[in-house]
Amino acid sequence: MEDAGTSGALQSLLMSRSLSDPALLAASATAPDYRILPDVSVLKIGGQSVIDRGRVAVYPIVEELVEAKRSFPILIGTGAGTRARHAYALAMELGLPTGVLTDVGAAVSGQNAAMLGHLMARHGVPVVGDTAFGAIPLYVAECGAAIFAGMPPYDMWQHVPAEGVIPPYRTDAGCFLVAEVYGARQMIYVKDEDGLYTANPKTDKNATLIPEITVEELIELDLPDLVLERPVLELMRGARHVKSVQVINGLRPGLISRALRGEHVGTIISAQ
Amino acid sequence: MTPESTFVTKDVASVFARQTLLDRDLVRQPDRPVVRLLPWLNVVTLGGRSIMDRGAQTIIPVVDELRAAMSEHRMLILTGPGIRARHVLGVGLDLGLPTGVLASLMATEAEQNGHLVAALLAEHGVSYLAHGTVAHQLAVHLSASPAAVSNGFPPYGIYEFPPTVGKIPPHRTDAGAFLLADAYGAARTIYVKDVDGVYTDDPASESGEQLELVARVGAAELLAMNIETLPIDPIVLELMTTAKHVKEIQIVSGLTPGNITKALAGEHVGTIIHAG
Repeated sequence: MEDAGTSGALQSLLMSRSLSDPALLAASATAPDYRILPDVSVLKIGGQSVIDRGRVAVYPIVEELVEAKRSFPILIGTGAGTRARHAYALAMELGLPTGVLTDVGAAVSGQNAAMLGHLMARHGVPVVGDTAFGAIPLYVAECGAAIFAGMPPYDMWQHVPAEGVIPPYRTDAGCFLVAEVYGARQMIYVKDEDGLYTANPKTDKNATLIPEITVEELIELDLPDLVLERPVLELMRGARHVKSVQVINGLRPGLISRALRGEHVGTIISAQ
Repeated sequence: MTPESTFVTKDVASVFARQTLLDRDLVRQPDRPVVRLLPWLNVVTLGGRSIMDRGAQTIIPVVDELRAAMSEHRMLILTGPGIRARHVLGVGLDLGLPTGVLASLMATEAEQNGHLVAALLAEHGVSYLAHGTVAHQLAVHLSASPAAVSNGFPPYGIYEFPPTVGKIPPHRTDAGAFLLADAYGAARTIYVKDVDGVYTDDPASESGEQLELVARVGAAELLAMNIETLPIDPIVLELMTTAKHVKEIQIVSGLTPGNITKALAGEHVGTIIHAG
C-alpha cells in the first residue's frame, strides 16, 4: 500500500491513455514484480547439439537430470535440431512464409520433448503441452521436473526476419521467455560447446571461448555466428527477472549439476 | 575440446544441416519470393477502445457494413479488447504479475469481443475461429463462408516479450493482425478505428485546433514524426519494415458509414501507411 500514489496514477493512465503512451509505459515500470516460480531453474536441452546425437549424449544427461531434480526443481525445454533444419530448407525452397516454418519447427521440438519424456517417465517426469502449463507447479512440486517443447507458439504470428524466412524466435527464445514469465531462478542452455566463442568453433579453429560477457558487449561485437539465438539478447534487455543466462557443455559430465548450483562452468551472458 | 569423436551425429541432409541458423550469410534467402498463401484475403480489424467499447450504436452499423461487404469480399475480421483489458491489466499489474501473464489476460477480452461480433453475423455463416483454426484451417472456413471472426491478439500468451520499458505487453491487436495478414499474404489490411486516420497531433487532445490528417505516409517517416498518440500501435510500423507482403495498411474511421466498404474496394478514405 506504500505506493498507493504511484499505483493510483498508473490506474488512471491505464483508463485514459493509449497503451503505447510513454507516460503509461513508464508508470507500468513501477508495478511490483512477483516471481511465480522463484525456485525453479529452466534448462534447455539442445536439439542439434544434444538430442540428435542419440543415446550416447542423451542417456548420461537424463541420469544427470534425474539426480539434479532431487535438489533443484527444473523445467526442461527441448530444442528442435536437424529435422527442423531440413523442414525449414524444404519450406523455404517452396516459398512458404515464416509462419509456416514456425509451425513445422515447433513439431520437431515437440518430438524431442516426447522422446525425452519417455526416457524420464519412470522417474515421474511428465511432458506438458501449451494448454497444460497451469499444471506445471504441481508437476514440479510432486516430481521435481517437467518437460516442455521449447518452440514458442507464435505460429502464423511469428516475427518475419529482415532477410530470409527462418523464424527468428525459436527454442532458445521460447525457453528464455518461460524462465522470465515464471520468474525462474536461472536459465541454463545445455549445448555441445563449452560456451560462447568468438566464432563457430565447429568451423573456425581460431575461435576462442568467451567465459563472461554482457548483452551490450555481445551486440557490439556483432559476431557473424552465435551459440544463442540473437533475439534472446534483445529479450534479455527487457527482462525483469532473468538477467543472465549460462551456456554450458552438456557432453561434459557433471556440468549441469554444477551450473544448477550456481557455478560458472560455461559462458555467462548478462543483461548488465 | 569437446569429446566429439566419441559421439555419432545423426543428420538429415539439408542446406541448413549442422548450422546454427544464426550465420547471416547462410540464412539469407536465395532470390525466391515468398508465396502469398491467401492472396484474396482481406484482414479487417475492429478496434477495442475505438469501436467495440462504443457499444451498439457504433458496432451495429459497422457489422451491417461488413455483412453487406460479404457478397464481394472474403474477410477475416479481428477484434481488439478495449476497456475490460485495461481493467484486467490494472489488476494484474497491481498483483505484480509478469508481462506474459498480462498478455494472456488481455487476449481473453479481445476473444470475447470476437465472439460478440461473430454472433451478430452467425446467421450468414460467420463463426468465431480460435487461433489454431485461423493458423491451420482458415482456407476451408473462408471457402465455406466469405467471412470469419477471430481474436486480434496474437497467441503469444506467456511467451510475450518483456518490453524494454515497463510491463505492458507489446504485441496487441494491431500487431497480431499485421503479422497474420503478412503471413497469409493478404490483399488488404484495414484497421477500423474511431478517427479518420493519423493526425499530426492527437485529435482528442485539447490543443487539437491545427489538426491535419496525414493521407499517406511511410512507416519510418511516421515513426520519426514522434507523434504522441497514434491510432495504431507503433510496433506495427516497425514490423512493416521486414514484412514480406503487406506493404501498406489503411486506417479508416468506422464512425463514417461507407468507409469500410470503400477501403475494401481499394479506395483511399483514411490514412494509408506504406512500408516506404
